[in-house]
Amino acid sequence: MTPTSNLLAYSYYPGCSLHASGKEYDVSTKGLFRALRIGLQEVPDWLCCGATPAHNVDELLSLALCAKNLSLAEQVEGDLAVSCAACFSRLKTTQHRLTDNETKRRQVEKAIDGPVPLGKPVKHLLEILAEDYGLDRLRDAVQKPLTGLKVACYYGCLLTRPPEVPQLDCVEAPTIMERVIGAAGAETVNWSHRMECCGANFTLSRPGVVLKLSNEILASAKRAGAECIIVACPLCHGNLDIRQQEIEEASGTRYGMPVFYVTQLLALAAGVSSTRLALDSMIVDPKPLLKEKNLL
Amino acid sequence: MSRIGVFVCHCGENISRTVDVERVAATAARIPGVAYATEYKYMCSDPGQNLLKNAIAEHRLDGVVVAACSPRMHEKTFRNAVKSAGLNPFLCEMANIREHCSWVHEDREEATAKATDIVSIMVARVKKARSLAPITVPVTKRALVIGGGIAGIQAALDIADSGQQVVIVEREPSIGGHMAQLSETFPTLDCSQCIMTPKMVDVANHPNITLHTYSEIESVDGYIGNFQVTVRKKARSVDMAKCTGCGVCTAKCPQKKIPNSFDKNLGLRTAIYVPFPQAVPNTPVIDRENCTWFKTGKCGVCQKVCGPGAVDFTQEDELVTEKIGAIVVATGFELYSIAEKPKGSPIKGYGEFGHGTIPDVIDGMTFERLASASGPTGGKIVRPSDGKEPKSVVFVQCVGSRAREKGISYCSKICCMYTAKHTMLYKHKVHDGQAYVFFMDARTPGKGYDEFWRRAVEEEEAVYIRGMVSRLYQKGDKIVVMGSDVLVGVQVEIEADLVVLATAVQPRTGADTLAQKLGISYDQYNFYSEAHAKLRPVECATAGIYLAGACQGPKDIPDSVSQASAAAAKVMTLFARDQLEREPIIARVNERFCVGCFACKKVCAYGAVEEKEIRDRQGRLIKTVAYVNPGVCGGCGTCQATCPSKSVELDGYTDEQVIAMIEAL
Repeated sequence: MTPTSNLLAYSYYPGCSLHASGKEYDVSTKGLFRALRIGLQEVPDWLCCGATPAHNVDELLSLALCAKNLSLAEQVEGDLAVSCAACFSRLKTTQHRLTDNETKRRQVEKAIDGPVPLGKPVKHLLEILAEDYGLDRLRDAVQKPLTGLKVACYYGCLLTRPPEVPQLDCVEAPTIMERVIGAAGAETVNWSHRMECCGANFTLSRPGVVLKLSNEILASAKRAGAECIIVACPLCHGNLDIRQQEIEEASGTRYGMPVFYVTQLLALAAGVSSTRLALDSMIVDPKPLLKEKNLL
Repeated sequence: MSRIGVFVCHCGENISRTVDVERVAATAARIPGVAYATEYKYMCSDPGQNLLKNAIAEHRLDGVVVAACSPRMHEKTFRNAVKSAGLNPFLCEMANIREHCSWVHEDREEATAKATDIVSIMVARVKKARSLAPITVPVTKRALVIGGGIAGIQAALDIADSGQQVVIVEREPSIGGHMAQLSETFPTLDCSQCIMTPKMVDVANHPNITLHTYSEIESVDGYIGNFQVTVRKKARSVDMAKCTGCGVCTAKCPQKKIPNSFDKNLGLRTAIYVPFPQAVPNTPVIDRENCTWFKTGKCGVCQKVCGPGAVDFTQEDELVTEKIGAIVVATGFELYSIAEKPKGSPIKGYGEFGHGTIPDVIDGMTFERLASASGPTGGKIVRPSDGKEPKSVVFVQCVGSRAREKGISYCSKICCMYTAKHTMLYKHKVHDGQAYVFFMDARTPGKGYDEFWRRAVEEEEAVYIRGMVSRLYQKGDKIVVMGSDVLVGVQVEIEADLVVLATAVQPRTGADTLAQKLGISYDQYNFYSEAHAKLRPVECATAGIYLAGACQGPKDIPDSVSQASAAAAKVMTLFARDQLEREPIIARVNERFCVGCFACKKVCAYGAVEEKEIRDRQGRLIKTVAYVNPGVCGGCGTCQATCPSKSVELDGYTDEQVIAMIEAL
């Protein structure tokens, strides 16, 4: 039994996607953390981080939204855990922008009508697993190793960039996802498009761009021998999973490549029941693959 | 009462923009002991100096304070002026109101008050100053050149040709440096070996040159004109006096599969080897890490086949001490590596280029070895992975250079030109091949350089794409180069057979350690710093040490050679005199008060403190006191601060002077 002093506890900011199209991510994050005995308490009354639109339209708006969330997060103990890559990026950017900019900070404080606390560390769940919890403990917590499953770890644009903001891992060649999923027994492939853009929110305005860029990602993963892709961003997930059939039609290539959230596979390995991972919400059915690997 | 003159300089607007110089002069005039105070626009100019000299005569001044720039800039100038007016030069001091005041402050009132304080302090110091006479020391007319690349070779030959003795210390088994590795040189495309090797042979044959190859600097003591340098001659395992260079040992060595670093590991060499056929000296060396004898105690083939019996497994590192008068540092450069850097290194690698794991992504020097007639492929340009001729080659400039996010902001200067050269060499050898170049700017400021670059673009049809490369990855047997063309505003993807990276020029690994041994300064990248960026570009701030070549900053061959000759000229100027005048800022021991505790001896960084016996007329020992050797004393003042009985004082910085300076505030 782990002594209580070793128990970790975090405040949790899920973000809008995780309560909607990216529900699988939320469910599996909570399931995984429960299985690992890591405390996770949602920030009460949180609001949207502004995502991509806010900072494209008005920087003050985007900073104020995140500042409000940071201030709300003060009500809950523990560093702020974030799953969504975009929320993570926006919250970290806000801390970064306001830390050395007194003028901006005063503007934001006026906008949210209160002080902006910048001291609470904002951590991506990968950071929590790899550093706070530790890979050795993670390895020990695995009940159903992902042995033989060939995984392509897809980072997308926001987890490590821009270099001065997230400081998560090496900017252009990170390995944190490989290390974490590797600790759960999966085999990770070395592939070329780990860091390329999936087309992001052009998925609504210019889907053609997404079909082209996401096709290259799927093709590269396939070329490298991956059987599935793992992601840490609901938008990447949408583009690679929901749009996969369209991509296959447009490119004339059949992929059938399941796209998991990193937490879904980790939770599975940590012994969370597969019925509690929202596998049915995935468009590309992952069950045949998981059955083949004796993981279901 | 003293009669001090205060001269406040405007330095154009450098000082007067922030400091009210008229007010500083007027306030100074009221300090007791100041007989005359004035200001002038440029004190260092000829009329400015004349103003100073005339004032000394007219107002019978017995001390001078020039309130202007740093003493490092013009102390010498004004002391010479004072001397020519008949006053002892050490009665003239600089009050630095430029670097220490006007340049770093904005508020005029505060800056003026501070400048006034600085002037009062220096007046107090000059009031207590004593006339000092320069110390003369003999000059050892023997120069040390560290590094045997083109810069070191040129400097050594120039000094040796003037009739003076030169010692060269080279880390590698042969001299020649990077230039010996190059294929052809820009902007004339003449063969590098053909112009380099005769100079290497000249070094070997020159009666005035002593060559220590496979050697490193162990320690450096002393000062200008009188350095003692200890050189570690690494064990070559071959007796240089006996070896005839016949080459039988290297031919017979059974250990044949060691990557040859001279060929950027493209070719292989034996465990006993000469790095390249034209090596000087042509004496092999045993690579003990890879030699079977040193690993297992068996083999010894080279020893058996060596006719003159030159192979000596028992040889050990040897320490040689040389007496040296001047040092030329010419340690050169190395290329930035895109590999993952150790944690904590301010310089980063290129994960987006695979951290150097794609075999057909090579650096510029590797391409030189491929293109070189004496290289591992005999000049045939092929891919390292499969030996096939590449039909499309992408050259990427500014890899690591001008990239703040990678930890380096400077321009490496030589890459634009050598990449243009590479595209030509490639086209000359692979007629149906296509060269592409990704570049930020084409920087070609040199004689015949722009013409050369235009030739690459217009005649040799290299496709220049203005933009950066974001990622390289292997796809089948091609390398996909993803980049942007910022002139057209599109993203570009090229499938290349070979990618050549123009990686940044960096100082040699260990440049900082050597600098610490020499006591010279270096910048944040470890490039050695010159004494003045414009006016003293070949001298170090440390007297008697000079710089040549790329150890000071990225340089091409003509620039390195010019700087080397300039450094040689500086050494010859020094050697033209038999005696050298040294500043008399040295420590003196008051033998009456010295109790002989030798605390000063323990703290002296220069080893200048000796023990001196004082005897009476009958020869009986009265006491042993400290004695400071004036030729060795560095004038740091540590002994003065340490001495418990206050019996050591540094001339020019006596306790009396320092206390007066503090009290003047």
